[in-house]
Amino acid sequence: MRAGAPPARVLRWSAWAPGREAQADWQAWAHAPEALPFEGQAEARFLPPMLRRRCTPLTRIVLSAAFGCLAEAERSAVRSVFASRHGSLNESIELLESIVRGERISPAKFSHTVHNAQAGLFCIATGNCRSSSSIAARTDTFPCGYLEALAQLEREPARPVLYVIGDVPLAPTFAPLVPEPPAAYALALLLAREGTGSALEFGLRDEVAPAERPWPDALEFLRWLLGDEPALALGRFYWTRC
Amino acid sequence: MTRSGCGLAALGLVSALGAGVDETWQRLVAGDSSRLSLRDDLVPGQRLLVGAVERPLPAIPDPLARFACRNNAMALAALQQIEGPLRSALARHGAARVGVVMGTSTSGVSDAEASIRHVMHHGGHAPAFDYAQLEFGGLAAFVAAYLGAAGPAYTISTACSSGARALASARSLLALGVCDAVVAGGADTLCGLTSNGFWSLQALCEGVTNPCSRNRSGLTLGEGAAVFLVLRGGEGIQLLGVGESSEAHHMSAPEPTGAGAEAAMRGALADAGVDPDAVAYLNLHGTGTPLNDRMECLAVERVFGVALPQSSTKPLVGHTLGAAGALEAAFCWLVLDRREGDALALPPHCWDGVRDPEIPPVHLVEKGELARLRGPACVMTNSFGFGGNNCTLLLGAGA
Repeated sequence: MRAGAPPARVLRWSAWAPGREAQADWQAWAHAPEALPFEGQAEARFLPPMLRRRCTPLTRIVLSAAFGCLAEAERSAVRSVFASRHGSLNESIELLESIVRGERISPAKFSHTVHNAQAGLFCIATGNCRSSSSIAARTDTFPCGYLEALAQLEREPARPVLYVIGDVPLAPTFAPLVPEPPAAYALALLLAREGTGSALEFGLRDEVAPAERPWPDALEFLRWLLGDEPALALGRFYWTRC
Repeated sequence: MTRSGCGLAALGLVSALGAGVDETWQRLVAGDSSRLSLRDDLVPGQRLLVGAVERPLPAIPDPLARFACRNNAMALAALQQIEGPLRSALARHGAARVGVVMGTSTSGVSDAEASIRHVMHHGGHAPAFDYAQLEFGGLAAFVAAYLGAAGPAYTISTACSSGARALASARSLLALGVCDAVVAGGADTLCGLTSNGFWSLQALCEGVTNPCSRNRSGLTLGEGAAVFLVLRGGEGIQLLGVGESSEAHHMSAPEPTGAGAEAAMRGALADAGVDPDAVAYLNLHGTGTPLNDRMECLAVERVFGVALPQSSTKPLVGHTLGAAGALEAAFCWLVLDRREGDALALPPHCWDGVRDPEIPPVHLVEKGELARLRGPACVMTNSFGFGGNNCTLLLGAGA
């Protein structure tokens, strides 16, 4: 029995890290990958000022990659999947600290700490009324978010799905509990069953020991996507070019 | 690969109504609203009526101590009820072919709150705290680790639609051929963050929530878990249809005309290829907030008219947020499972009976009411979350 899903194509991609937004920046990085800076914010000038002010640093980064990946007409038409290991937990932690101090919390801040804040704000910013999901899976967050995007393609194979993953460094109180290099990044992929772009097979196989890399899994995937190695393994998940 | 049916083969659940299918069903169908309790430890200076799970929860086994938080214990309480069928599925298909998709909106944030208190008072985290308890992915990772499932394991967190989406994704993972069995559901726990958050939004009512009433004034919080074994195949109770939509409107308020809710319900019917007439019961999202109930009933009227028997079960268990979609799918599963001939016993809508002239006169289920079936049984459940994230599920008994 096959262990993989039907192939999907990456029609387009966009990525964000401090100082790296243009496709040429990432092409250069993919040829000579190195640790990326993790301090810096996305300006997200495409957002209306009112909305931009309410966006957390993660939301700005994630929406920058999402908008960068889509033509204007596509923004309100795609279904979307958002993934983040930590999501809005930095903001949740701030609210928890307020609660412990016995303070009242801000209703607007509370409603922006849901894990699907980026999904909700993407839909609000673009007028998009299609399905939008958001997931987390500890160290498997990138491949599991990709799988959730494939699950959306399964539901409606004829329509592309936007997959966006992003994270920012965890608050200092919690960062020492998580053994991973700090990163501020987002990657957006426009996935479809048909169309022009690399066709990739995805599935699970025996676990391979995780490689120690100073950049996140999602950017390792991007490095692989822009190169010519036949296969990529991240933990027990693999991709091959068709 | 095509869908060949999606069976909800076994169900474990825990909520304020009790634990397990029999106890839950008995109190659900009786409309036993005596299960809510008062808590003064959630919002400073306030006594809140909540749907708490007061029975002791199972201990997390020592090798999984890093996952030892109340939210995971809640999931475990549901999981252990169907441990036999789950372990059989693992043995039959192999660990790598069994996936886990769980929904939550809280994960172990109540335990993180205690640890933050520890940090602020003692300068370091509580010794038993681990980040795996707080991070959303921890719930699915715990379920997978407990069972020894080695397929994909992830948590969906789309606020109050999380648990419904988990079942939708489980069906897709089977259809994609990535898994042969999926453990899917939701778990959420009462905590300071959500209680203070909804309090600050002025979304909580005094006393018990009173959905669809002219006197409704907000929601009652709850906690619980529901876990299904989801298998390919057309036997038993099926997940027939999934409808999803976004509202593109507001982070914490629903779009007032119910367009998003309508799209989700119509989506589920279209996905299943089922006519509105074939639906015998609708479990409303029915939070009891002024905005939700109005927009939801407007949408229901446009899709079904006003005759469809429907109820909100939130006055019985509270709003269990990230678990609600799975828990209310579980209530629908019980309605189908307890079918007797052509009669479906339905969970009653417990409220003060005062109609709101701004809400269409939809058919709210009375205690003891039965639905008479003319054909296969089909029931629907709505879940609408923050961020305008909607998911409707349609369940049915096998062909």
